[in-house]
Amino acid sequence: MAQLFPKSMNVVMRVGLLALPLFAAGAGVAGAAFFRSDYTTGAREVVEQPVPFSHKHHVAQLGIDCRYCHTSVYDSAAAGLPPTKTCMNCHQQIWQSADLLGPVRDSYAKGVPIAWTKIHNVPHYTYFNHSIHVNKGVGCISCHGHIDEMNLVYQSKTLLMEWCLDCHREPEKHLRPVDEVQNMRFAAAGYTDATGKTYTSQAELGRELKHKHLVREAAVLTNCSICHR
Amino acid sequence: MPAERTNAPEPDLLQSVEQWMAGPQFRDLMTDEFPEDAAEWLDPVSRRKFLALSGATVALATGCNPSLKPAPQKKVVPYVKQPEHMLPGVPLFFATAMPQHGGVGLGLIVKQTEGRPIKVEGNPQHPSSLGACNLPALASALDFYDPDRSKSVTENTRTTTFEKLASAVKAALTGKAATGGESVRLLTEPTTSPTQIALIEKFLEKFPKAKWVQYEPVSRDNPRKAATAAFGKPLNAVLNVGAADVILALDADLLDCGPAGVRYSKDIGVRRRARTGRAALKSKDGVKSEELNRLYVVEGMVTSTGAIADHRLPLKPSEVENFTRALAAKLGVAGVTAPDGLSDTAKKWIDPLAADLQKAGAKAVVVVGDQQSAATHLLAHAIHEKLGAVGTTVTLTAPLDPQPTKPTTGWPTDDHTADLKKLVDEMTAGKVDVLLMSGVNPVYDAPADLKFADALSVVRKQAGGVALHHGLNADETAAASNWHLNAAHYLEAWGDVRGHDGSISVIQPLIAPLHHGKTFTELLAAVLDYPATDGLSVVQGVHRDLFAKAKRSGSFERYWEESLKTGVLADSALAAEKPAAVKLDKLTELSAPAIKDLEIQFRPDPALGDGKSANNGWLHELPKPITNLTWDNAAMMSPRTAEKLKIQQGYSFNTYKGGERGATETDIVELTVGGRKLEAAALVVPTLADDLVVLTLGYGRTKAGRVGSPDDGPAPGFDAYKLRGTDGLWSAAVKLERTNKRFYLAVAGAYHAMESRRPVRTASVAQFTNDNEFAQVPAVSAAETYAIRVNTPGTVENFEHLKLHHPHHGDEHEHEAHDKRLFPLSLYDNNPIKVTPPNGQKDNANKTYRRWAMALDLGSCTGCGACTLACVAENNIPVVGKEQVHRGRAMHWIRIDRYYSIPGKKLQEDDLGDTRVTPAQRAERIKESAQIKVHVQPVPCMQCEKAPCEVVCPVGATVHSADGLNDMAYNRCVGTRYCSNNCPYKVRRFNFLQYTDYTTDSLKLLNNPEVTVRTRGVMEKCTYCTQRIRNAEIEAEREWNSPARPKDRNGRPKILDGEVLTACQQACPTGSIAFGDMSDFDEKAHTSAAILRWKAEPHNYGLLAELNTMPRTTYLAAVRNPNPDLEKALAAGKGA
Repeated sequence: MAQLFPKSMNVVMRVGLLALPLFAAGAGVAGAAFFRSDYTTGAREVVEQPVPFSHKHHVAQLGIDCRYCHTSVYDSAAAGLPPTKTCMNCHQQIWQSADLLGPVRDSYAKGVPIAWTKIHNVPHYTYFNHSIHVNKGVGCISCHGHIDEMNLVYQSKTLLMEWCLDCHREPEKHLRPVDEVQNMRFAAAGYTDATGKTYTSQAELGRELKHKHLVREAAVLTNCSICHR
Repeated sequence: MPAERTNAPEPDLLQSVEQWMAGPQFRDLMTDEFPEDAAEWLDPVSRRKFLALSGATVALATGCNPSLKPAPQKKVVPYVKQPEHMLPGVPLFFATAMPQHGGVGLGLIVKQTEGRPIKVEGNPQHPSSLGACNLPALASALDFYDPDRSKSVTENTRTTTFEKLASAVKAALTGKAATGGESVRLLTEPTTSPTQIALIEKFLEKFPKAKWVQYEPVSRDNPRKAATAAFGKPLNAVLNVGAADVILALDADLLDCGPAGVRYSKDIGVRRRARTGRAALKSKDGVKSEELNRLYVVEGMVTSTGAIADHRLPLKPSEVENFTRALAAKLGVAGVTAPDGLSDTAKKWIDPLAADLQKAGAKAVVVVGDQQSAATHLLAHAIHEKLGAVGTTVTLTAPLDPQPTKPTTGWPTDDHTADLKKLVDEMTAGKVDVLLMSGVNPVYDAPADLKFADALSVVRKQAGGVALHHGLNADETAAASNWHLNAAHYLEAWGDVRGHDGSISVIQPLIAPLHHGKTFTELLAAVLDYPATDGLSVVQGVHRDLFAKAKRSGSFERYWEESLKTGVLADSALAAEKPAAVKLDKLTELSAPAIKDLEIQFRPDPALGDGKSANNGWLHELPKPITNLTWDNAAMMSPRTAEKLKIQQGYSFNTYKGGERGATETDIVELTVGGRKLEAAALVVPTLADDLVVLTLGYGRTKAGRVGSPDDGPAPGFDAYKLRGTDGLWSAAVKLERTNKRFYLAVAGAYHAMESRRPVRTASVAQFTNDNEFAQVPAVSAAETYAIRVNTPGTVENFEHLKLHHPHHGDEHEHEAHDKRLFPLSLYDNNPIKVTPPNGQKDNANKTYRRWAMALDLGSCTGCGACTLACVAENNIPVVGKEQVHRGRAMHWIRIDRYYSIPGKKLQEDDLGDTRVTPAQRAERIKESAQIKVHVQPVPCMQCEKAPCEVVCPVGATVHSADGLNDMAYNRCVGTRYCSNNCPYKVRRFNFLQYTDYTTDSLKLLNNPEVTVRTRGVMEKCTYCTQRIRNAEIEAEREWNSPARPKDRNGRPKILDGEVLTACQQACPTGSIAFGDMSDFDEKAHTSAAILRWKAEPHNYGLLAELNTMPRTTYLAAVRNPNPDLEKALAAGKGA
């Protein structure tokens, strides 16, 4: 009986067998990559909103303080979304007949709130608290990215647990003076503090601020119940 | 190192009758992780169907779902105009009050998140609460969101509007003014509300011949009648039990029931906790052992009060009057002679008891239960007078309930039950055509012989007859009336109420009425044509008048705001009255005869009360104090009575079936009282008085809702009101016959038994004085004792070992805080966590992080269950239902273990009953009700430092936190249940099924947003209210730079002692729970947190500490204060 396979198949078979673990590993890597991909995490996905509110315009161009709208960010777990009244404070005076602002005026007139689409979805079993982060000197930009460059806000980070832990393990990488928290252009290199000391790197500033702000140890900050209750 | 002890008191401790009998099934039970069936799939959904369903779920999750996106897009909805003072995500707290039994209020602080009231807590500024809470108040949050609450106004079951109802009532009343409203009657629950009383008085001015009858099934007629007989007017007795050295409770569950139970618990609690430390005494954690009060309890049922008594005498309730007579005679109360027929044991009590009362003199108090005859109450007044207690332990004030401003013609009287009877007679005779009922449900709970339902149908059928029912639920009475008005709950309406001492609180709403309900005040205001009928205007109007009348200075607005803020109107407590001498001439008239043979006592249920909250799953599932019964009431009797009546219960020796663990199989008995019959399940409860059957009220509803009267099954429990007549409202002669039917009761508790490892430790004052480390016993050797002590956080040895300055020691320590336990204590090197040294300071490198811990004092714990319920409310713990409790799947994070102990020679040789004593001998011993003592012990998660659960979790869902919590990450749990299997305390609870209700909308509003709602397949347990700790921590930590926030000894922002209260600690009426940070002490100032003062006591011990789990939660052994003379007297008879 003739051979079913030519002899060269031996080589193909051997290579194939050798490649099998690589395939398996590759599948694993691909899976992990997919799990972390923007598609799955929703990062960088621009979402349509009832009113096309532009942070770029309000923050970068007009220079409105974050806290004008997100009033409770220093005092509460929730930063707070502005009530329609806050929009109307200005838009009763300017752009009061712009079509884009129709839903805002409707909401104010009828007393029906605007239903925004939530961008940063933290799972319900995770208790993120804005106030502790900003009071300890974690900048808005660390989690929200360059809000000042976004027309429509999108989620710029993955919000995966490993991403949270990156910072909880090494908070010094993200610490800045509390009054610089909202600064979208802050750079640690070249920063001069009240005592006149100038820092050369984030590492140097972070180390200093970790002590000053009494930021807790990684061994504390990575406890389950810090975020999960 | 403490010396070895040989003569430590060590009675047998039995968790259940079953354990005492040590039957084979009990032994099987001990070898299993969960009781039999708990882990079995026995539900209607078959295994095959389940697999099919789960297959479909997988298919849906993977194949059909086009995206793997973790969550769909959610909407976030801000306000249009944000209310003032409101920060999204930060709860608000409002002071209010809840009208409870007798219309008396309990001051509360209610937590509101995003506009929803979710948790009820005590108001520390209210005299009736002092910050603690009780079961009805804790459970009222669920009542509020009850999906079966009445949602509409109805006329003959057709939905209508409040306006139409009000005009119909007005129309019916218009013709009546001419006759003075002769055929108009109001029937309300008792009230102390100044506003409601003012409006009803206005109503009675307009209709002078109308009558206002107040009625409540658990009436306080007897104390009222007795006070009238004694002083000529129904004075209200306010007790200062904190000042009492000797307390005699005569069938009085003074800590659990009654309007002032919470306050009395607080006052008594302090003096039930023995302390030795100077700091502890200074901080009033407790008292020196010689200053402990002495509590005598004489009762038929075994109550929470009886459980912590120093001496308890089981006595049939109808014999208590005779006992009191004998006592009064012995004390020399003029005109009282000792009666015959007192039992021998009772006789032995009289002399030592009288002597002790006399010795205490003005510092003694006698408390009589509402269900005792008026004569007993009258005798108590006489005894107080004789002892000179009036003014010290007893204060008499004007009555809390309304007094008619004008003398009434004949009735209403002090006797509400007699009034009700008169009302029913009139109704039956057709003399009533307008009957306005508020807050009452007489069709269900009026004495059976009155036949209220028939009388009501006469009213309804009158020409133009208005039978109006106003209540929270469309209950039995609503169904029998032609009008129903849905009431507003106290959490959603304006009102006011008086506390036990008369202090007025304004009830302020936390939310707009969910179902547009109205209060009775609002109805009356509408009927009386008030210009503004909304609750706020009416209540404020009445208080404006009171303010003007009292001639207070300042503006009313300021006074009003201040009152709302504190929760109590300033100086509104009633002043003490100086009463005339007690008159005993009506003693014979008010007396109730002792019942010779078998007696039945009706009592308010410890959980459900009189049955108003019968649709409350929290209350149904809460194991009742002492009996641990859930979801039912039962005809309870002592083992001896049960034997006499041939009742077969699970533990019975010859026919061993079931037993007291989850499912207790028992007989159904037929009870006959005055010709009325009822079938009810029997339950044998050791320590009950013999020849007594106790049946609690509040069960067997027919129109309560999906929990109290489900459509698809029998209603929980048995309706005791069917037996209860005006002739024997509390006690009656009963005939009991066993039927051939059997019944399963769900008795929680015994399946978590810890075998006989001395979980509860007690000693008398004498023993404690002799050896205050008596609790440190499990002495195989002194060395082992020492090792255990060293490893028990907070003990003296532990402190010494850690080279920490012990709060007890006066001498200075040179050592810096240095935690040596790094290696020996934990699997994790980095535990306990070291604090970052501030720049340049190296010497602080080893300072420890916060160390949370808890201590429970068994001396004052009454086992009332408030902690369990508070925990349920705080932590979103689901209700599982009777069937699931049967299988040992109840979810409560704190269980309250109840032990019986028989003093004397130890009968059990080893743990699992290799017995030297025959079953027959054992069966005899369990019948000695007077000998058996009851102990209670709440058991939450111990937060072991070496937690056995953590090492076996395959997914790391339960791990230790730096501050000593045994964290539970619910979302990581895959449900292997290894942790629970490895837990020696059996405090972990598993969601065997989908218990959390995800579908009922109103119940979703009740959830605490700070705690993850657990789903099926997840393990859960106590976490020391980690959400409260973390929130307090965040609050402190974010103030790192604020001078207002003090720093702790390590230079970190300090969480003050008492800033974090666990839910159980906060609710505990006796204050038996301490919680705090064990690192919170100051060597120099000699101060330390309460938790350290508690744990430093010599009688602090760890449960199963010998397993070296190093529990963070420890217990303080109970120190009891028995009367040596009485002990002698009782022992004297036995030898003979």
